[in-house]
Amino acid sequence: MPKWAMVIDLNRCTGCKTCMVACAMWHGLPPGVFWTIVKWAGSNVPQADMATIGDYPSLGSYPIHNICNHCDNAPCVKVCPVNATYKRDDGMVLIDYDKCIGCRYCMSACPYGVRVFLWEDPSRTISDALRRVKSPYPYKQAPDSMAEQNYIYGYPLDHRDNGRLVYRPVLKLRRGIVTKCDWCVERVDKGLKPVCVEVCVGRARIFGDLSDPNSDVSRMLAEKGPNAVRRLEHLGTEPRVYYIPKTSKPRILGEVTS
Amino acid sequence: MIKLSLATSLVAALGLYVKPRLLRRVDELSPIQSEEVKIVKVSCLPNCTESCWLQAYVYNDRVRVLMPAPDYLEPEYTRGCLRGLSQVFLWYGPDRLRRPMVREPFLRWCRGEVSWEKAVEEAAKLRGSPDKFIEVDWDIALDCASKALAKIMRDYGPASIAYTVQVPGTAYMGKGALMRLASLFGWSSMHAYPLNGDLPTFWAPTFGVQTEELETYEYLNSKLILIFGSNFTVTRTMSARMLVLAREKGAKIVVIDMNYPSVANIADELILINPATDAALALGIVYVLIRDKLYDAEFTKTYTDMPLLVRLDTKTRLKASEVKELSEYAKNIKIPAYRELYTAWDTRRNKIVIVDPRTLERKDPVTGEIYDPALEGEFEVELVDGKRVKVKPVFQLLKDLVYREYTPDKVARIISPSLDLVPKYIDVIERLAREIATIKPVAIIYGASNWQWYNGDLKGRALSLLVALTGNIGMPGSGISTYAGQYKIKWPMWSWWGYDKELTKIRGVAATRRPRWLNWSIFLNYEYRQSEEWRKYRSTEVPWPEKGVRALLIQWWNPFDQHNKALILTRKARREHPEPLDFIMTTEIQWTTSVEYSDIVLPAASWFEKYDLASGPLNPYVQITQPAHDPLFESMPEIWIFKEIAVRTSKIISAEWTEEEIEKIIGLKKSEMIELAKMFYPDPELQRQEEEARMAGRWSLRIARDIANKASELAIERLLEDGRSVVWAEGVTANLTEGITLEELKKRPIRLKLPTPGNRQIPFWVQINMKVPFPNASYPHPIPATARYVKSGRIEFYKDEKAFLDLGEELPVHKDPFEECLYKLYPEDRGKYELVYLTGNSLYRIHSTHSNNAMMLALQDYKPKIYMNPKTMAKLGLKTGDYIELYNRFGNIRGYLVEDPGIHPRVVVFYQGWWRRYTDGTYYNAPNYPWIKPTEIIYFTPGVWEPNTKWNNTLVAVRKLE
Repeated sequence: MPKWAMVIDLNRCTGCKTCMVACAMWHGLPPGVFWTIVKWAGSNVPQADMATIGDYPSLGSYPIHNICNHCDNAPCVKVCPVNATYKRDDGMVLIDYDKCIGCRYCMSACPYGVRVFLWEDPSRTISDALRRVKSPYPYKQAPDSMAEQNYIYGYPLDHRDNGRLVYRPVLKLRRGIVTKCDWCVERVDKGLKPVCVEVCVGRARIFGDLSDPNSDVSRMLAEKGPNAVRRLEHLGTEPRVYYIPKTSKPRILGEVTS
Repeated sequence: MIKLSLATSLVAALGLYVKPRLLRRVDELSPIQSEEVKIVKVSCLPNCTESCWLQAYVYNDRVRVLMPAPDYLEPEYTRGCLRGLSQVFLWYGPDRLRRPMVREPFLRWCRGEVSWEKAVEEAAKLRGSPDKFIEVDWDIALDCASKALAKIMRDYGPASIAYTVQVPGTAYMGKGALMRLASLFGWSSMHAYPLNGDLPTFWAPTFGVQTEELETYEYLNSKLILIFGSNFTVTRTMSARMLVLAREKGAKIVVIDMNYPSVANIADELILINPATDAALALGIVYVLIRDKLYDAEFTKTYTDMPLLVRLDTKTRLKASEVKELSEYAKNIKIPAYRELYTAWDTRRNKIVIVDPRTLERKDPVTGEIYDPALEGEFEVELVDGKRVKVKPVFQLLKDLVYREYTPDKVARIISPSLDLVPKYIDVIERLAREIATIKPVAIIYGASNWQWYNGDLKGRALSLLVALTGNIGMPGSGISTYAGQYKIKWPMWSWWGYDKELTKIRGVAATRRPRWLNWSIFLNYEYRQSEEWRKYRSTEVPWPEKGVRALLIQWWNPFDQHNKALILTRKARREHPEPLDFIMTTEIQWTTSVEYSDIVLPAASWFEKYDLASGPLNPYVQITQPAHDPLFESMPEIWIFKEIAVRTSKIISAEWTEEEIEKIIGLKKSEMIELAKMFYPDPELQRQEEEARMAGRWSLRIARDIANKASELAIERLLEDGRSVVWAEGVTANLTEGITLEELKKRPIRLKLPTPGNRQIPFWVQINMKVPFPNASYPHPIPATARYVKSGRIEFYKDEKAFLDLGEELPVHKDPFEECLYKLYPEDRGKYELVYLTGNSLYRIHSTHSNNAMMLALQDYKPKIYMNPKTMAKLGLKTGDYIELYNRFGNIRGYLVEDPGIHPRVVVFYQGWWRRYTDGTYYNAPNYPWIKPTEIIYFTPGVWEPNTKWNNTLVAVRKLE
């Protein structure tokens, strides 16, 4: 049985957000809904192309990632009243979308804010986004529709874990349930890597089996282990995502800005 | 938003386990899983330079997901970015065109209901609005288009129809189809390279080439990577992987910029300098290299023009034919017309020698002896007429220049953002010079943002000095590279782009049939064409159609947002300009801003609905795209659209014009024109089959598409055939497409067989290692067309054409970017507009592509933003979130203000590409002006030497909007 884990080396991140978007496209998340986030520290405008910290020319930039930690001691699993959220033996924390009743206890319990509640039908969320494209094309289907009304993106086939519905494109889910990063269980179960890992420009995200000392994650942690941190470790959640903090910053005029 | 129902809340609160079926909130429509997911390999084809090879997951005949396809020999090249992976929002989005459209006045003209003049006048009023577009079938649209094009050709000549291929490397075949159509009738092609401001104008005068680039995989061999004004992690999003890997392998990455770019995030050092002062920095480094003798003397003497002697009286290079003791010998040395016999001073024999342009060996062509040229000193020589003149080597002149103008203390004052930091900048210059001289290999990445200035050529020439003087050219992991755009034709493609082959067959003698050329800035800048400067410097090579430009053809190009300099294009379209446009036709996939300015709109197949062939500057791979499914609605592959126009237009012409008219205007016999149109597809039999189906009433979109796909495959094969034997450099041929077949390309991208070890893309490897004279061929031009720019056969830093001498630019120098253009034309603007206006590329768009991508829009909160330094904002009384307008005498742009301390205090940034619908009808290119520099019009080689648009040479002021 593998022991899945992820390492995110922030020194390798270019801040390109390809992981965010590739994840959203693969899982059929409507525009504006993301299961993983990359942003720049210090900006008071989260949607800024880029943000720096400091006083010109003494500057720095720091990408921040957020993703489900697939905790070993996951509070979300404990509070789920219907056992929709569960921990698999390989470490993945998954949601059975058939079971979820949308109570959002898990969202309150999660100290990392990685869960996404579908306040409205995802089909409506995408309609709002498409309306904001402001297409003046006189012959389009409708102001809030794709060119073909029934088109849905995202990996199209459901994935079930011992009968539990753990993957379906979110655009096909209905409002009132909670979703989150599933570490691409539908891919990993077929021997593939999670999408965000596969597309990462800087190979900043690494996924693998902690029980295998030769796996990429094990080797990375062996090499950079002393630097690796897990988020809010004092809470005892035992996250399975390890971060290598950004230590390499550009020198400016011969100095490293703090 | 929906609240949980009471029952649900109760259940949840009590933690009751209820059979999930009762409360499930998932979609009741269970997904159709009857079909398997099929994977089709396709290419992403914007003009971002990457052309990622992707796998499309096709389900129920539509692409559901795109992911990088791992088929490169080097797995590091596997890639796909946030924009490309979300491109389904474009092709399946609300803006996807469904059927051809004709604007009502032109439809009425086609039906004979109104005069041409009336139609033109009425259409002009509609341009810029979505009104009165009538959806029509293909027959009506194509007949109407052909009729209009024939009329314009008859009235004004074929040269008055202008178009651009935006850009060929993204689709050699489909975009080549428009070139082929234009070749048939002789229309004017506006090369996209200078039109986009992407032509790095230093290459031709320095290296005699269009461009050369180190493939990004070679960064793994670099030890020092200098990035001058290129936000590589944004503009070459996925290739930035190589920078990360190079750095982990030990390379040092230094970023030089005016703003803090995101690439600095993965750099070891960031050097922030004042806008447009890179040339000064480079020349300050050159000063240290020379002062401390840190340059590579052997390399400099062998491969550059540094030893060539320059006359101090005329400032021109001393030719052997001018020198008394050499002139007779010179007469007997046979050189091509594009070469010149210059001179150097041999320190071994203490005498003047001829520098042989036929080789890079330092061998006296008269005696065969090896010479050692002087780099420094002043000499006196006797000319043929007995006059004695003083001469100095180029190197000595360079030394004099940098000792006079570019000492580190002087340079630090130019580049430092504040005076108190000058001592630190002096340290930086001294240290950087040592690093460049001592750490090898050095690779320079020179960004387009940096050369899109009036004096962008000078910066490139100055930066080239850094790699040339230190011997960092022609070796793995070295050189200066520019990666702007997929303009490069990796081999000549006239057999598909032109009609040479077919016309030769018809006439039985060698014949060429290609389009005419035109330059975008010259097209826009009516005022410059009236100026004294134009009359004084314009070479007769520089084309301008006798009767002006009357029609603009747009194919996968959005000029009304991207190239609407000073709103000139809008005024031309609205006929509020001395040179108005009569007719605008667009072939597009989506409803863009430019579609709104068009009279006829033809819907085209998207990147994964057709076949095409592509390559880019970042690596030497060639790849195809192929249909994942049929084109949506009635859209068609470009090859079919342009074939139809060729055939229909030739039919109209042959029916309505006299034979004499055809021969005079088109330059072909009537029979030749008809025959060539019938041979548009590579196999005329395919065209005949479609015609037969039409005659028999069997024609359908399906038949036309199937035949078009077959024709596309044949055209790709023909293109591959063209690469089998090409001239690479003088005396060096290459079989670039050896063993590359369409069938193999359907499975994976394939590395071209470059004449280098391991087929690696290492610029000038042949010149440096085989001593073959510069340049490499810049396709599709033959060697002489560009070798004339480096007549010595060496890397040239000294230019002695009159325009260079008049401007004081015989050697690279630093100049203020506004003195010789804006302030010269409008002295009253000095002090009025003080913020440098930068329109860099956004992470969320590729130029203006993806402007309407809902996923990208959501990431930006749907708001165009303007970035400014907080101190500048405080001075202007502005705060984050303010809705502001940037303006100058040429135009304005609106957006929401965001503070960013990483922006230079004298700079304001608006990331380009927002379509007009998002900016209150304002245009981000409106504040730009199509400046033309005299040195750009002394020659004309399309895509190599011609005026480049200067996007960043712009000053603006700010006002807050309510």
